[in-house]
Amino acid sequence: MNTAELLTLQLRVILSLVLRETRATFGTSSFGYAWAVITPTASVAVLVILFSLIGRHAPFGSSLALFFATGILTLQFFTEISGKLMTVFDANRALLTYPIIKDVDTILARTLLISATYFVIMLIFYSCLILVGMAELPVHPEHLVMVFCATAYLGLGYGTVNAVIASLWDTWMQIEKVLTRPLFFISGIFYVPSQLPQTAQTVLQWNPVLHLVEWFRYGFYSNYNSSILNVYYPLIVATILFLFGLAGERLFRRSRF
Amino acid sequence: MLAFDRVSKVYKLKGVKKVILDEMTFQFPENRNVAIMGKNGAGKSTMMRLMAGSEPPTTGHVYRSLRVSWPLGFAGGFNGSMTGIENIRFVSRIYGQDTERVIDYVKDFAELGPSIRLPIKTYSNGMKARLAFGLSMAINFNVYLIDEITAVGDQTFRKKSNAVFQEKLKSSQIIMVSHSQNTIREYCDCGLLLDKGRVTFYDDVGDLLKAYKSL
Repeated sequence: MNTAELLTLQLRVILSLVLRETRATFGTSSFGYAWAVITPTASVAVLVILFSLIGRHAPFGSSLALFFATGILTLQFFTEISGKLMTVFDANRALLTYPIIKDVDTILARTLLISATYFVIMLIFYSCLILVGMAELPVHPEHLVMVFCATAYLGLGYGTVNAVIASLWDTWMQIEKVLTRPLFFISGIFYVPSQLPQTAQTVLQWNPVLHLVEWFRYGFYSNYNSSILNVYYPLIVATILFLFGLAGERLFRRSRF
Repeated sequence: MLAFDRVSKVYKLKGVKKVILDEMTFQFPENRNVAIMGKNGAGKSTMMRLMAGSEPPTTGHVYRSLRVSWPLGFAGGFNGSMTGIENIRFVSRIYGQDTERVIDYVKDFAELGPSIRLPIKTYSNGMKARLAFGLSMAINFNVYLIDEITAVGDQTFRKKSNAVFQEKLKSSQIIMVSHSQNTIREYCDCGLLLDKGRVTFYDDVGDLLKAYKSL
């Protein structure tokens, strides 16, 4: 087979897997997919309401909901991919009966499905905010598309590494949860990172998720001048992680079986 | 070509190391139907999965230049909560087949009736086997790997599968695992005997069956 044929084959397999996983994850009823969209949307809404109730003001702009959502939805999207990829090898073991399906296909399929779901979630959430007047139209929509892809990419890279480690060492699943928990506090979700003291900024700028959140806000606000944002940083981290993940998948393939 | 080059397969589970295949080198003869026999746990099914490429060997290489089917056994890659139709669609999609043609073929062949619209977990073993068998027959492979599956179904189903098989055999080859002497005599013209990680080739099925009995 030549490269073009191989690519078509891989694309065909990945798309079939997406369709199958959609069906397997969301069940028979069309409402299953609705829940997948409603649950994260509602959890963000609850947090926004809580913060409003305790009388917090938006650290930037006039809408607390928008500021908070740009942070938490981006983080959620990232952790959803990286977390769900952790179990991807075990969950799809039965599928490998069909030799045409490889482990990497299942990784890509799962990433695509979660990305599609979060695309719908974000679309609904931000449209609602704009409709009820809690947000303005985004100033740089093209940057929103780019940062969405970058977030998926970082989730894919980190998730692939996670999947490889978890397949070699079960306990990693628990440890990883503890390790990523602080992301909620260090990713600039409820504060403006540029307003932090210089020492805090120099430490926090190593967190690629923080750059994604900053990038997202840059796409939404007209005058969000971030002193930290470097759009290449999360992309480079994602690429390094993804390459490590793929190498690990290949290197330890024999020991997974 | 379908060949094993110094293939070993070792499973390690809870600290117990189990050697299934030990440095096995073997080239499958082309255009002949090969039986694989051996005691329970001798590694017949493992060998099938290695041939198909569903699993990599621990060391060594499997060379494969033919279109080899997935190992046809009970229920392998079916998703229990998805219906028969949905499973058929998935498999025909990944193999790039015309989905509707395959569905029609399997409906006609497996005779599952309205059950084909029910989740696989409601199926009996016989029904699953019929579905798996029909599905693989709808797709053209050079080599069909069949793991203990032909013995299912009633008389009419067996007659039917036999007829389809004979048709397929004109252009394809089968490699079959079975404990049944009759099945092996019916379909195969040579065979392998697996014992303690080693493999012996028999050019004649009669010799194979004799050796199998004396294990």
